[in-house]
Amino acid sequence: MPLAQQTGGVVQGTLDMLILKTLALEPMHGYGVGLRIEQINKGVFQVNAGSLFPAFRRLELQEWIKGEWQATENNRRAKYYQLTDAGRTKRKSEAREWHTQSAAIARILEATSGEL
Amino acid sequence: MRVVRIIGGGLRALFGKQRVERDLDEELRDYVESAVEHKMRAGMGREEAAREARMEMGSMEALKEEVREVGWETRIESFLQDLRYGLRMLSKNPSFTGVAVLALALGIGANTAMFSVIEAVLLRPLPYRYADEIVRVTSTWNRNGTLTSYTSSPPDFFDWRDQNRSFSSMFAYRTGEFALTGQGEAKRVRAVVATAGMFSTLQAEPLRGREFTAEENLKGANHVAILSYGLWQAAFGGAAEAIGKTIQLDSEPYTIIGVMPADFRFPLSDSDAYVPIGFDSQVMTQRGAHYLAVLGRLKRGVTLTQANDDLFAIMTELQKLYPDKDGKWGVRAQLWSTALVGEIRPALLVLLGAVGLVALIACANISNLLLARATVRHRELAMRRALGAGRLRLVRQMLTEGLQLAILAGGASLLLAHWALVSIVRFGPTDIPRLASVGLNGEVLAFTMSASIACAVLFGLIPALRSSALDAAGLVRTSISPSGESGRLRSALLVGEVALSMMLLAGAGLLVRSFMGLRSLSPGFDPGGLLTLSISVPDAHYKNSLAVQNYWEEVVAQLRGLPGVTSVAAVTPLPLSGDDWSSSFRVEGRSVPEKDEPSAELRWATPNYFRTMTIPLRKGRVFEDSDRLGAAHVLLISETAARMFFPGSDAIGQQVNFGANGGYEKNEGEIVGIVGDVHDFGVDAPVAPTFYVPLGQAGMDGATLVIRTEGLPAALGQPARKLVQGLDRDVLVGEPVPMERLVSGSLGQRRFYMMLLGGFAGLALVLAAVGLYGVISYSVAQRRQEMGIRVALGASGGQVVSMVMGQALRLAGLGLAMGLLLAMMLKSVLKGFLVGVSTTDPATLAVTALVLLIVAVLASYVPARRAAQVDPMAALRFE
Repeated sequence: MPLAQQTGGVVQGTLDMLILKTLALEPMHGYGVGLRIEQINKGVFQVNAGSLFPAFRRLELQEWIKGEWQATENNRRAKYYQLTDAGRTKRKSEAREWHTQSAAIARILEATSGEL
Repeated sequence: MRVVRIIGGGLRALFGKQRVERDLDEELRDYVESAVEHKMRAGMGREEAAREARMEMGSMEALKEEVREVGWETRIESFLQDLRYGLRMLSKNPSFTGVAVLALALGIGANTAMFSVIEAVLLRPLPYRYADEIVRVTSTWNRNGTLTSYTSSPPDFFDWRDQNRSFSSMFAYRTGEFALTGQGEAKRVRAVVATAGMFSTLQAEPLRGREFTAEENLKGANHVAILSYGLWQAAFGGAAEAIGKTIQLDSEPYTIIGVMPADFRFPLSDSDAYVPIGFDSQVMTQRGAHYLAVLGRLKRGVTLTQANDDLFAIMTELQKLYPDKDGKWGVRAQLWSTALVGEIRPALLVLLGAVGLVALIACANISNLLLARATVRHRELAMRRALGAGRLRLVRQMLTEGLQLAILAGGASLLLAHWALVSIVRFGPTDIPRLASVGLNGEVLAFTMSASIACAVLFGLIPALRSSALDAAGLVRTSISPSGESGRLRSALLVGEVALSMMLLAGAGLLVRSFMGLRSLSPGFDPGGLLTLSISVPDAHYKNSLAVQNYWEEVVAQLRGLPGVTSVAAVTPLPLSGDDWSSSFRVEGRSVPEKDEPSAELRWATPNYFRTMTIPLRKGRVFEDSDRLGAAHVLLISETAARMFFPGSDAIGQQVNFGANGGYEKNEGEIVGIVGDVHDFGVDAPVAPTFYVPLGQAGMDGATLVIRTEGLPAALGQPARKLVQGLDRDVLVGEPVPMERLVSGSLGQRRFYMMLLGGFAGLALVLAAVGLYGVISYSVAQRRQEMGIRVALGASGGQVVSMVMGQALRLAGLGLAMGLLLAMMLKSVLKGFLVGVSTTDPATLAVTALVLLIVAVLASYVPARRAAQVDPMAALRFE
C-alpha cells in the first residue's frame, strides 16, 4: 500500500496507525474514533468522514479491526470497531517502527551543520 | 475452523452486496447523528448542528463510492502483492521451481495429450448436421450367445427402408476403389458406392450440381459421379465446367453430376468420389449377400429404442417370409457415433483414468515439495503472521504461488502434449477413427487450463491450510524444528504416490507381457521377406476369364525375374488386410436344409501361394500350374476347416460347392489337399475355417501379389510397382506394403494402448522417485544435528546410510503393498486388454515390484550418503 498517499491532510499510514492506537484503548464507533483522534492531537489536524470510513474498510479487509453492531446509549444501532489479535500485533510493530523512524527524522532535522 | 469462517465471510461479502450497502448506510447515518448530538451538546441549535454536520460530511454518495473502492483496491493490491511475492519466491528457488514445474508439466502434459485423443475420437461431434440423429443399422448374427454385427443384404435394406416408421431417410453404401484412367498413369480413387438418399440422410448438399436419384440406383443408369472437392481441384482445377464432363473409372465413362464442399468427409475419412451403387435387376433375390453398410436418420422425437423395436418387428416378419435366408439374422440400430468407437471407447476411458492418476501423483509430489518448503519457511510465515498478516491472506498467498507454478507448468505441458500428439498421429494405429485429426484446439486448451487450476488448488491447499493453521506465537517459538504432523502428512502422501505408481506399473507390465505373448505368436506363415502389392485389372481390357488368367501368369512370371525375388504368388483377399470373403457351402452327398448350411472363409490363390507364404501342406497336394481354366475344379482346405466340417472322415476327395459368389465363376470342386491354418484377422484373433480356390479358375480381376525376396521387402517396392505399371498403364497398382507391417498393424491398437499405459506408468515411476528423493533429502536435512550426534557418538557411515534408507524403504514398502492390493483390484478393468496373461500374473507383479523397489533404493541412497557425510562439528555448531 502506498504509504505517502495524502488523505485529508493526514498521511494514510499515519491515520491507520492512529485508528489502531485509538481502538487499542476500547471499542468505539466511527464518530467516536474521529472525535478521539482530534482530542488527542489537540486539533492539529482534522479527521473527517471522507478519510475515516475508507480507512475503516481498509483495516477491516486486512483483518486488523472488526466491527460489531451494538445499541448506543440513545438506542440506535451503531457499528463498534475493535482491534483483532492481528491488529494488536500490527499496532505494536507499527508503533515501534514509527518511533524509530520519527526519532531518525528528528535527529536529521535537528542535526547541526557540523554533524552533517 | 477459523479459516472456514473467514472464507465464508469473504463469500458473504461477495454475494451479500446489498447487506453490506445497508450496513454502510446505517453506519453513516449514525455518524451524522452522533455529530449532530455532539454539536448540540456544545451549544448549537438542532438545525444549525445538522447543517454543519452535513457540511463536514460532504457528499454522501462520493464517500460511499470511496469506501466501496477501498474494497477492490485492497483486494487487487494484495493480489498483485501476492503475485510479485510469489514470483520472487519462485525465482529465488530455481531448483525447487524447476522440479515442481517439470513434474507438474509432465503430469498435465500427459493428461492434455490423452484428453486430446478422447476429444478427437469420442467427444467431437461427427461432422454432419444433427449428427446425433444418424444411426447405424446392422444385421446381427448370434454367435455362441453374443450378437455380432455384420453388413446387410440389399433386399433386407430395401425392406427396412420402406417399412419403417422411425427413420426420415436411410441409405446403404460400401467403400471401394476405382482406377482413374485417361489422365496418364492410373490413379487410385477411393470411392463410396451408395444408394440414393446418402446426401439427404447426412444432410449435406453438393457444392455444385446435384445428388443421386433413385433411378441411378440401377445398373446402366449408375454411370454418374459426384467428386470430392479435392479430386475436383486436382483433376479439373476447380473449373465450373467440370459438371457434365466424363471421367474414366476402371476404364468406364462416368458423368460428373456434382462436387462436394471441401469440408465434407464420408465415411469420416477422405473419399475422392461418390458413385451410385448400380444394382442389377436380380438384386431382390440376393437376400443372403451381406455387403452393405446402412445408415439412417431418426425422425425428430423418435428414440433409439423405438427405432430398434420398429426394426425388430420388420425383421421378425422377414424371418418368417424368408426362413432360409433371413431365418437366423437379426437387426440392430446404434447411434453411429457409438458404433464407430464400440470397443475403443472403454479402452480410452481406462487410459484416461490412468493418466488422471499420473496427475494425482504429480500433485501429491508438489504438495509434498510445498509442505517441505512451508516447513522451511516457518520463520518467514511466522514473521508475516506476527506482522499482522491474516490467515486468509496467507492461504491466498500460498494458493497464488501454487497457481503460478500451475500456470508455468500448464504452458510447458502444452509443449509436451504437442510433441506427444505429433508422435501419436505418426505412429498411432490407423483403425481408430479420427485419431489422425487429434490436435490442440480450444476444448483441449480449456481442459489444460482447468486441469492446471485444479492441480494448483489440490496441491496448494494442503500446505496453505496447514501453514495458516499454525498460530504466530507458536511459530516463532518453534523456530525451524520440524513438525511431526507435517512429517506424517508428507509420509502419507508419499505412500499414496508409491501405491498409485505401483498400480499403474503393474497394469502396464501386464499389457507388455500380453503384447509380448501376442508378438511371439505366428500368423501361420513367415511374414519376413514378404512384400505385398495390390492390383486391380480393368474389366474393359480383360473381357474374359482367360484374359485375366493370362494376365496373372504374365505378372507373376515377370516379377519372378526381379533380382532377389525367390517366389511370387497372388491371393485375394490378402490375410491381415482387413478384407475377407465368407460364404455358405454345400458338401456333395449331405442333404442339409439351406438355412443350416455351414459357412467358411474363401480365398483365391495362385499355385505358388503356399510356397511363397510358407503355409505348410498337411496332406494331399497344393495347387499346380495345371489347375487352370478348363481343367477339373479343385479346392484346398485349412486344418481347422477339415476338423470342423469333416470330423473323423477324410476331407480329401470330397466335392464342395460354394455356389455363385459375387458374379464370379462358380466356386466348386474336389478337395485335393489340407494346408496349415492362417490367422487372417490378426495374430490375436482366432483362426477361421478357410477354403482356397485357384485364382485362375475363378477369373478374379483383383488380387494382391505376395513377393518373397532375399533382400529387404521395402527396397523391392518401387521396382516391383514400376514393372507392373509398365505391363499395362490402366491397371491400378496399390502402394507396396511389407507383410511385417500388416502383421504388426493387426496389433496396432494393442500396441497403442500398451505404449500409452507404459508411458504413463513410466511417468508415475519418475514422479514417485522424485517424491521419494525429495522426502528423504528433506528429512535428512532436518535431522542434520541428530546425524551429527550419531556420528560423533561413533555411528559408522554405513549405519547412518542404512538407518536413512531403512526409513525410506519402509515408506516405499508400505506403498508397494498398498499398490499391489490396488493392482489386484484392476481385474475387471484390465480383463479386456489381456490375452494369455492373468490379471494377477505373479511374475509380472513381482518384476514390477522389484523395479519400483530398485528405483526406491536409488532415490534414497543419494540423500542417505549425504547424511553419512555430515561433519559432526559443523552439524553441532549449527543453530
